Amino acid sequence: MNIGLLLLSTVLLILLVIALRRREPIGPIVKRLVEQGAKLIPRMICALIAAGFIAQILPKEAIARYLGPEAGLMVIPLAAGAGLLIPAGPVIAFAVAAVFSKAGASTVGLVTFITSWSIFAAHRILIYELPLLGASFFRMRVLSVLLVPILAGVLAMVVGLITNFGAPTIMR
Amino acid sequence: MSEFSYLKDPTWRKDVVRDAFGKGFLGFLVVAVLSGALCWRIKGTELFLETFVGDAELLAKLFPRIVIALTIAALIWVMLPRNRIASLVGADSGFAGLIIATIAGTVTPGGPSSAYALLAVLAISGADRGALVAFITAWATLGLQRILVWDVPFMGTEFAMLRFLISLPLPIVAGLIARSLPITVTFPDK
Repeated sequence: MNIGLLLLSTVLLILLVIALRRREPIGPIVKRLVEQGAKLIPRMICALIAAGFIAQILPKEAIARYLGPEAGLMVIPLAAGAGLLIPAGPVIAFAVAAVFSKAGASTVGLVTFITSWSIFAAHRILIYELPLLGASFFRMRVLSVLLVPILAGVLAMVVGLITNFGAPTIMR
Repeated sequence: MSEFSYLKDPTWRKDVVRDAFGKGFLGFLVVAVLSGALCWRIKGTELFLETFVGDAELLAKLFPRIVIALTIAALIWVMLPRNRIASLVGADSGFAGLIIATIAGTVTPGGPSSAYALLAVLAISGADRGALVAFITAWATLGLQRILVWDVPFMGTEFAMLRFLISLPLPIVAGLIARSLPITVTFPDK
């Protein structure tokens, strides 16, 4: 599992070199880092711990039946629907995804779920999209992206026919 | 020195502490404690401890990655050429405009506040609607910050790579659909 860390460190190194060569002031970078870290890290710690416990309690059979390999093609609409039900940020969405994963949801189900949530998260639409861009943009966007979670699920299914690559590992 | 003056600003410090340990955090803490208590009651001490130790080990392993990912996001956020992007995705930017918008959405870090702010800037400066849809779809599905901070720690590197690769064509498809829709879009005045 060191590939992830190696990849991250390489990207960081490249960006640092670019920043140094451009003589970017360090102050604003540190400021942004502290602000984002404060918002995310304490919540993430709680969410990860909660996800571990909730996965132990939940009825695994039910989730495996609806979002697992047994569900067949139905997994795609079901997972897309589940994604619509999460009107919250990534902390909650990924904690739920981790719980699904531990309970036996398939890779296809998880890809579809995360894609659906990321595109339709209702809180974002209400707080940002409608006020900033208006209702007509929102209608046009929803019609344009309606098929995206389904497409993601179908592509994941096709990849799954060829290779096992991409199965969730960490939270198992 | 003035570059770091915000560190001494008491309002900024208070905001950071509130963001970190305010109401939102307390909600998560309560859920973690309640689910832990429930797990203990239902499944017994042994499994509770096993789960908790497993979670703690996972956190220890993930922490360096999360810090690195957030540093990458902060660097990109500061260096992103916002105005250059706006001039590249205009009304007649064609297929190239969709690709540029997809790349811009992918590297735009931060939560919805920064992404939608940039989307609004692009909309006002006359970006093509396909490019707007491609941009926000790319930010949502391909966003590097989300993949590095969330997919990699929670789901694993392989899953993150798979989801990224699968999602690559999707913003462009969405942008092409957006261009073909017979809907008039008007933006709120501002």
